[in-house]
Amino acid sequence: MAGIFKLRERSVIHFNVADFAVAVERVADSGLRGRPLIIAPLQAARAEVYDMSEEAFREGIRKGMTLRRAVKMCRSATLLAPRPVLYRKAMTAFLKEVQNYSPLIESGFTDGHFFVDVTGTHRLYGPPPDIGLRIRRYARTHLGINPIWTLGTSKLVSKVASRLVKPVGEYIVSPGDEAAFLAPLPVTLLPGFTRREIRRLKEFRLTTVGALAGLSRRQLMVPFGSRSDYLYNISRGIDDTAVSNSSAVVPGVDYEQVFADDTNDRQEVEAVLSGMISKAGHHLRLRRQVARRVGVWLRYSDGSHVVRQASRRVGSNSDFVLRNLAYSALQRAWIKRTRIRGCRLVCDRLHRQSPQLPLFPDAGGEERRQEKLLGAMDTIRDHLGHRLIHTGSQRFP
Amino acid sequence: MKTSPGKADIITRSGNGVAESSHRCSLYVGTCGYSYTEWVDSGFYPAGTGSAEMAALYSYHFSVVELNYTWYQMARADAVARMVNNVPEHLLFAAKLTRTMTHERDRDWQEQLGRYLQGIAPLKKRLLAILVQLPPGFVRTIANRNYLAALLDGLHELPVAVEFRHVSWAVDSVFSELERRKVTLVSVDEPELPTLFPSLDIVTNPALFYVRFHGRNRDGWRSGNMQKKFYYDYSEEELCSWTERYLQVMAGQAGRGVLFFNNHVQAHAPRNAQKLIKILGNK
Repeated sequence: MAGIFKLRERSVIHFNVADFAVAVERVADSGLRGRPLIIAPLQAARAEVYDMSEEAFREGIRKGMTLRRAVKMCRSATLLAPRPVLYRKAMTAFLKEVQNYSPLIESGFTDGHFFVDVTGTHRLYGPPPDIGLRIRRYARTHLGINPIWTLGTSKLVSKVASRLVKPVGEYIVSPGDEAAFLAPLPVTLLPGFTRREIRRLKEFRLTTVGALAGLSRRQLMVPFGSRSDYLYNISRGIDDTAVSNSSAVVPGVDYEQVFADDTNDRQEVEAVLSGMISKAGHHLRLRRQVARRVGVWLRYSDGSHVVRQASRRVGSNSDFVLRNLAYSALQRAWIKRTRIRGCRLVCDRLHRQSPQLPLFPDAGGEERRQEKLLGAMDTIRDHLGHRLIHTGSQRFP
Repeated sequence: MKTSPGKADIITRSGNGVAESSHRCSLYVGTCGYSYTEWVDSGFYPAGTGSAEMAALYSYHFSVVELNYTWYQMARADAVARMVNNVPEHLLFAAKLTRTMTHERDRDWQEQLGRYLQGIAPLKKRLLAILVQLPPGFVRTIANRNYLAALLDGLHELPVAVEFRHVSWAVDSVFSELERRKVTLVSVDEPELPTLFPSLDIVTNPALFYVRFHGRNRDGWRSGNMQKKFYYDYSEEELCSWTERYLQVMAGQAGRGVLFFNNHVQAHAPRNAQKLIKILGNK
């Protein structure tokens, strides 16, 4: 049977908006263009740089650097607090356009990266380079941002090409040209290496991808063990990982809060989550929708994040039910001692609310009472604003 | 196998019967681009053909190709050299100028031009022309005339063909300036629509004339969708009539001519090119 089936050559476009947060802030305020800009939580005691402009980068500012040090290095920089909600809005707008061309999209949350698999769409939308160019044009004219776009036969190749052309430009790596394209590049441009592996590569003087590709699997096995297969493949441009939309910006109700100071106070996080649940529940009831899953993202001061979810079989838009789900997701996510910089709540798997009443109402009438209470609170909020009335545990984003 | 597939010579005779002279013009027929997955689906390339094999298969049918990926991205010498080394020697090239010097002009276009020239350097003697395709919005204003003049100055050492998409450039002063510079005016076959540059048989460079067949899809032309814009299948009658009307005139004034089909959708371009080669073979 071997040789009968041949997989179709893939076309993967990578869009990357360099310094995404800065790009979005500059759309919001054109006065920020052409000046060094640093985005960091301004009130935090040991704030770290969240993002910086190309001008600030040239002055030596890097992500994760302490704000105090960054300000010393680039005194002329404008400082702004991060606005993740705004960045996610921009991501969603970009995503909406990309979705016109392919259902297979992989993206981060607020980082301006999108992998789009456009394999097999040529009859509808023409050759893949044309799709890349059209989406970029849209982003420039309608969103005011100028993404890099690169085209390759895999995520690996298009990602490396992006790193080559940063901060602006495009790169098309022709199918079959992957190994030759990668060979002269520094090995550090390949994604997925651990620090230990980079050290080892240096020890062996393997500075270019071509030098790494010159080694057989057996030779790589000695210093890199079980990782030898991975290294062997990526050095030749072989990457068959699928563009997976599991991490995509999901359609759902979505709120995020960055804490003024990094915190590991569970009560404070729960209070903020409770505030977000209250807004989410109100939003869902207004749209007559119910959510079956609640996800909690915890973003830590060291740049890492943890995501946990809780779901139930029957959807709900009751604050009480959603809060229980959010707290159990938080319980699962609470695994690190590192201080938390921000948290995000997503209610998804949305459905229309059934107009049918339950056949057997709950015995004590608890649900009914809660429903009435929420209805009354919604009425007040509709007239006088959301913040006017809330439960004791809430803190609003 | 022929050494130069898709090539034909055409001899035109002029004179009054007493003093006659003949003129030979070599014609090369090809397509705008060769790497289309759609051409596998449409049966022009065999089933299962990968992009890496397309250039070699293409050169089995044709001796010239217009490189259009150089319009999407800046030409890079290493990639161009690898491509040239992987195709038979008889295949000649026209290379489209990158869009950042035509459609989305950047301020640093002069620097980009330098990079472009370095990028296409591996084509060397196999380069028939650099195609400067100007957008429909590029109207004949003083600023645009100055820009075009500066661009052509920057390209003066190489064979250049200019394609206008706006009717305002269809004036004698433009043609005579191109003639003075020995720059080829691209003759187009496209739908007759207001403001579009018309189909002409004017030859401004005795060394080369250059024709682009875009198809005559009036409805799809301004749809914004390439699959609609270039969806057109030329009939034999249309190509015969075009040959009678335009080709005889142009071939009589130039030593070489290139004819490219841009109606790539459903592989109409290579099939129409083959149809035209057959018509020329019968001449």
